[in-house]
Amino acid sequence: MISRRALLKSGAGAAAATLAAPAIAQAPKKISFLTWNIIDQEPMIRGWIARFVKDRPGVEVEWLDKKGPEIPVFYQTQLVAGTPPDVINTQGALGLEYAAQGALLDLTPRLKAEASVRNRFNADYLSNWAYEGKNYMLPFYITKTLLFYNKPMFQKAGLSDPPQSFDAIIDAAQKMTSGEASGFLTLNFDWLYWPLYAMNGVDLLSTDLTKPTFNTPKGIEVTDRLAKATEAGTINKISWTGRWVEPNGAFAAGNVGMLHAHSPAYFFVKGQGKWVTPETLGVAHAPGGFATPNSHGLGISTASKNPDLAWDFLKFVTDEGAQELGVNRKLVTGNIAVDTKNLADLEKSDPLVYSILRTQLEHTDRMVGNWRLGNDSRVKEAFWPELQNALLGRKDAKTALADAERKVARELKRG
Amino acid sequence: MMQAAGQVSGERGAWWRKKRTRELVLVTCLLLPSLAIFFLYRVLPLGWNLLLSVQYWSPLKPPRWAGLDHYEEMLLYDDVFWQSLKNTLIFIGASPFAIALALGIALLVNSDLKGAAVYRSIVFLSYPLMTVAVGIIWRWMYDERGGIINFALREIGLVAKPIPFLQSFDWALPSVIVAEIWQVLGFYMIIILTGLQSIPQHLYEAASIDGAPRLAQFWRITLPMLRPSLFLCAVVGILNSFTSFDLIYVMTNGGPGHATELLITHIYKSGFGQTKFDYAAALTVVQFILLLALTYLANRAAGGNAGSLERQ
Repeated sequence: MISRRALLKSGAGAAAATLAAPAIAQAPKKISFLTWNIIDQEPMIRGWIARFVKDRPGVEVEWLDKKGPEIPVFYQTQLVAGTPPDVINTQGALGLEYAAQGALLDLTPRLKAEASVRNRFNADYLSNWAYEGKNYMLPFYITKTLLFYNKPMFQKAGLSDPPQSFDAIIDAAQKMTSGEASGFLTLNFDWLYWPLYAMNGVDLLSTDLTKPTFNTPKGIEVTDRLAKATEAGTINKISWTGRWVEPNGAFAAGNVGMLHAHSPAYFFVKGQGKWVTPETLGVAHAPGGFATPNSHGLGISTASKNPDLAWDFLKFVTDEGAQELGVNRKLVTGNIAVDTKNLADLEKSDPLVYSILRTQLEHTDRMVGNWRLGNDSRVKEAFWPELQNALLGRKDAKTALADAERKVARELKRG
Repeated sequence: MMQAAGQVSGERGAWWRKKRTRELVLVTCLLLPSLAIFFLYRVLPLGWNLLLSVQYWSPLKPPRWAGLDHYEEMLLYDDVFWQSLKNTLIFIGASPFAIALALGIALLVNSDLKGAAVYRSIVFLSYPLMTVAVGIIWRWMYDERGGIINFALREIGLVAKPIPFLQSFDWALPSVIVAEIWQVLGFYMIIILTGLQSIPQHLYEAASIDGAPRLAQFWRITLPMLRPSLFLCAVVGILNSFTSFDLIYVMTNGGPGHATELLITHIYKSGFGQTKFDYAAALTVVQFILLLALTYLANRAAGGNAGSLERQ
C-alpha cells in the first residue's frame, strides 16, 4: 500500500516534471557577439544573425558593438562578472593577452578536427593569434602596413620609384622636404612603425621572447637617424605624437611625401584629401616587404555556455559573412577564397583599392611587430615612451634605448 | 511589584524623554540611508581596493599574496608614477591661478559694470558643458594645421611656424591646464560671487567712514570674508586635478610620452590597458592618501573648521 507521503511526493514530482519539460525544451540557446566599432554595418550583421538562426530553431544571437577604447574595459568587467560575450572581436595583440589570461577558448582542437575550416584562412594571418602554440582566434578582417606615396611630390623631387631601403626612404624624404612639406610620416600605435627597424635587421626581442635585443649599435643608429630626420623636419613630428586621425589627416593635406600606415588609412585619406586619385596616390610595400599586422580576429570566451554554437557562428561569419563584409567594406578577410573573388571584382571596379588590398595578401611571411606575447601592452608601454623620448629629442638614442631595455627586461621578467 | 514595574518602565522611558537622545535617534535615522550608500559605494570599495593592492590579481586567476611588491614597483621602478604625480601636483598648482582669475571676474561682475549679468552668464557657460566636448573643442582650437589659435598667432605675426601645442613635450601640459581652467572658471566665479554678495555691506560702510582705502577694504574685509568660498574653490580645484580623466583622455591621452599623464590616467591605463588591476589598486591607494593629505592641508589653511556647523 502506498503511503500518503509517498503519494504526495510522486504527485508533486510528476507535476514538476510536467511543468518543467516544455520549459527545458523551449529554453533558447543564446550566444552573444561583441564587435569592435562596426556599428555602421548594422544591417549586414543583423542579416548574418537572421540567416544563422533561421536554420537553428531555438537559437538566439545577441549583438553588441563597442568602440575600440571601450572594448577592454567592457570585456574585462564582463569577465570578472562571469558573463563575457560568447564571441568576441578584438584588434591587434589584445586577443593574445586575453588568451594568456585564460579568457579565450583554445580553438586548436576544433581547427585540427575541421581541416576545411583551417585551410580556409591564410596561414600567416591565422598564426598571428597563436599563443604558446595554440590558436585562439580566427581572422575576421585583416590589415597590415604598407607605403602610400604622393606621386606629384615624388615627381617634383625627381623621384620615380618608391624607396627600396631605409636609406632610400630617408633620402627620398629629404628631397621632398621644404617649407611646410615633409617627406615621411608613419603611424605609431601598436608597433606599426616597427618595419622601419625590421628593414635594418633590428628585432625587439630574442626568438624565445625572453630578452630584449634592440639595444644594439644598429638599433641606436636607426633611432638616431630617425630622430635627426625628425628634428630636420624630414620626418613629420606627428609620426611620433599623433594617433590615427592626425597623421592620416596630415598626409591627406597633400604636403607629406610618404605615409607608412595600415590599409584602412586609405579610406580616411581619400575622404579628406581631394588630391587622392589613382594617378596621384602611389601604393607600395615598405622596403623588404616588412609590414606590421593590425588585424581583427574572432574568438570564443572560455566562459561561454554554448561553445559549440559559438564555434558554428564563428565558422558562419568567417565564410558567408566574410564574403559580404569584404564587399561592403572593401577589405580583405583572410579567407583565401573570399579574398580571391573580391579582389578579382575590385581589380575592375576600383583599381586603386585593389592595389592597396593586394599588398595585404603579399609578403605575408614578412610580418613583424607581432610578437606572440601575453603581455604585449605592458612591453609596449615599457618601450614606446622611451623611444618617443629619443625620436623627439628628449634623450639621446643611446640613453633612451638603454632605459627602454631595462624596462622591457623587467616586464619580460614579470611575465 | 506593580510599583517596581512602573519604576523600570519609567526608567526606560526616561532616556527617550531626553531631548538630546531624541535628536540623536532622529539624526541617526536621517543619516542612515546616506551612510549606507557611503559605506557601500565608498568604504567597501576602498577596503577592497586596499586588499587588492597587496595581492597579485587578474580577472581569471586566483589572488596571491603580494605584500608590498606593487608599492615597491611604484616607488622604485615606475618612472611614469613619478611623472604623473608631478603632473598632478602641477595641475593642482594651477588652481590658485584659476581662483585668482575667477576672483577678479567675480569682483568685476559684482560691480556696477554695465552688462555685468551678461558677462556673468557668458563666463559661467563653459561650466555646464560636457568635459568631453570641452576637450574636443580645445583640441581643435590647438590643432597645428587648422586650429584657430595657431591661425591667430600666425596672422598677428607672433609665430612663424605653427606650434604643436598638444604634441609638444613643453606645451602639452600647459595647454591642457588652460582648457581645464577655462571650464572650471565659471564655477569658481559663481561660488566667489555668492560669497561676495553675502558680505554685510555695513562692514564696507564702517570702513569707508573710518577712511579705509578700497585696497585695504579688499585685503581686510573682502578676502577674509571670502575664505570659506575660496576654500571650497581650492577643494574643488584639488578634486578636479585628481579627476581630470576625461579632459586628458580626449585631448592627449596622457602624451606625448607621458607629458600630460595624471595619476588618474595612469591608474586607468594600468588597470584596463595593461590588465594590472592589482598595481592600479596600489596607485589608487597612494592617490587617496595624497588627496586626504591635501584636503587636510586646505582645511587647515581655511581655519581648520571648514564644513562644521555653526552653533547659535
